[in-house]
Amino acid sequence: MHISDGVMPTSLALGSGAISLALTAWSSRMTRGDDLPKVAVVAAAFFVAALVHVPLGPTSVHLLLPGLVGALLGPSAFLAIVLGLVLQSLMFQFGGLTALGGNALLMGLPALACGLIFQVFKGEGVKRQMIVGGSCGGLGIIGSAIILALLLFLSGEDFLGVAKLALAAHLPVVFIEALIAAFIIRFLCKVKPEMLTAPFTLKRNKL
Amino acid sequence: MSNPTLHLPWPILGLILGLLVVCLWLAVVSVRKMADALERQPDGMLPLIGCDAPARSPLHSWDPRFKLVAILIFAFLVVSLKQPVMVVAALAVAIIILAFTRLPWSRSLRRIMAMNGFLAMFLIVMPLTSVVQPGDSLIVFGTFESWPLNLRGMKLALIIIGKAWTVALMMEPLLATAPLGATLEGLSRIGIPQRVSELLLIAHRYIHVFFGELQRMRSGMEARAFKSDHRLDTLKDYGNFVGMLLVRSFERTHRVYDAMQARGYAGRMPGHFQFRGQASDWLKALLLAAIGIGLLLADRLTGGGA
Repeated sequence: MHISDGVMPTSLALGSGAISLALTAWSSRMTRGDDLPKVAVVAAAFFVAALVHVPLGPTSVHLLLPGLVGALLGPSAFLAIVLGLVLQSLMFQFGGLTALGGNALLMGLPALACGLIFQVFKGEGVKRQMIVGGSCGGLGIIGSAIILALLLFLSGEDFLGVAKLALAAHLPVVFIEALIAAFIIRFLCKVKPEMLTAPFTLKRNKL
Repeated sequence: MSNPTLHLPWPILGLILGLLVVCLWLAVVSVRKMADALERQPDGMLPLIGCDAPARSPLHSWDPRFKLVAILIFAFLVVSLKQPVMVVAALAVAIIILAFTRLPWSRSLRRIMAMNGFLAMFLIVMPLTSVVQPGDSLIVFGTFESWPLNLRGMKLALIIIGKAWTVALMMEPLLATAPLGATLEGLSRIGIPQRVSELLLIAHRYIHVFFGELQRMRSGMEARAFKSDHRLDTLKDYGNFVGMLLVRSFERTHRVYDAMQARGYAGRMPGHFQFRGQASDWLKALLLAAIGIGLLLADRLTGGGA
C-alpha cells in the first residue's frame, strides 16, 4: 500500500512532497486552534486502528480506513493522515522517508474526497449513513489504489507491471474495507451519532 | 531482436516457479505470524522513538537540527543514485554510521524486515514486466518467447531494495540518538510549523495508550469466544471493535484536552532543549553531505546519467 524509498525518481518525490506540505498547511489552517490537540489524538486512534488485521483468504490485511478518516475529520483529515504516516515511518519504516510526500497524497486526497462525499450524501437514518459510509470506505481504497498506480506509472514505464499488480491486489481489500467501514458507521450512529455530524463541533460535557 | 538472450530448458522454469511458490507461502505465513504477534504482545510493546541515554557517540552529541537536515539531504541524494555499485557504497556508509552509534542492531533489522514484503514484490514482478529495451539481457524458458525474464528489471528492483535499506538504516541514527522531544523541536527550528511537531509529540504519546486499549478490548473479545474467520459476522465484530476504539478515543480526547488546558496549555509545550550549533555540528553535517554528493557525482560521472 505504501511506496517505499527509492522507487520514485527524486523530482517526483520532491514534487509530491511540496504538494503534500501545501495541503498540510491548508488542512491545519482549516482546523481551529482549539481542535489541534484533538486532531493529534484522533490521528493516534486511527494509527492504532490500522494495526488491526482482518483475515482475508490465507493471509490477512490491515485496515487503512482513509474514507472513514475523511468522514470523521473533514478538512482536518489530511493533517491527521500526515501525522499518522510520519509516525508510521518513524516507528516501523512503513512508507519510508523520501516517499512521505507521495504516501501522504495517496492516502490524504481520497480521505478529503470521501469526507466531502459523506457530508453531502449522508442524509438521515442509520441505514442510509451505513450505505454512504460503506461506499466511502470502498471509494477511499479505490482512490488510494489509483493514485498509487499513477505515482508508480509516473516513476517510469518499467513500473507499469507493478502498478497493474498493485491495482489488482487492492480489489479484494476494497470490499473488506467497505463492509467494515459500513459496520463502523452503523456502530457510531447508534452509540455516538454526534461524531458523524460535523467534524469537531461536539459539545463538551459541562460539569 | 538484438538482445542477448539466454535460452534455458523447461525444468529450470519449473524449479524457479516452485521456489517462488515456496517463498510466497513463507511470506504469507510470516505476515500472518507477524500480525498475530503484534496483537498478542504484552502491553506497551510498540517501538518507542527516541532515547534519553547520555551521549555515547558522535551522533548522540550532534545537534538535532544539523542531524535532521544532513540526514534528509543524504537520503534524497541516495535515492537519486542509479548505479548498483554506488548504491552498495551508500549502503556501506549507512552501516558504518550505524556501527558508530553503537545502537542495538535489532531495531534496524526490524525496520528492514517491515519493508521486505513490498520489496520482494518488486523483485518478483519487475523482471517479468519491465519493458524490453535494445541491449537488455533476457532469459527465455523453453518456448515461452513472449514472457522473457528481463535482467535489467531485476537490476532495477535490486537498486530499489538497496536504496530503501540505506534510508531505513539511517533512521535509527536519526531518531534513537536524541530524545524525541529534542528531535521534534529541532524539526520546528528548521522550518516545519511548530504546530506539526507539537501534534506529533502528542500523537506519539497516545498511540501507546490506545494500543494498550486495543489489546485490552481484544482479550475481552477473546474471553467471549471471538474467533477470527471469514464470516460476515466476523467483519461486523471487527467494525464494532474499531468503532468502540474510536468512541473511547474521542471521549478521551476531550478529557485530555480539558486536562491540558487546566494545566495552562496554550498551543505549545514548554521546551527545555538547548541547541548550540558548534563547529563540530557543522563539520559532521558537511561531512555527511559531502559523502552523499560524492556518491552522486561518482554515480553520474561513471555513466549513471544515461
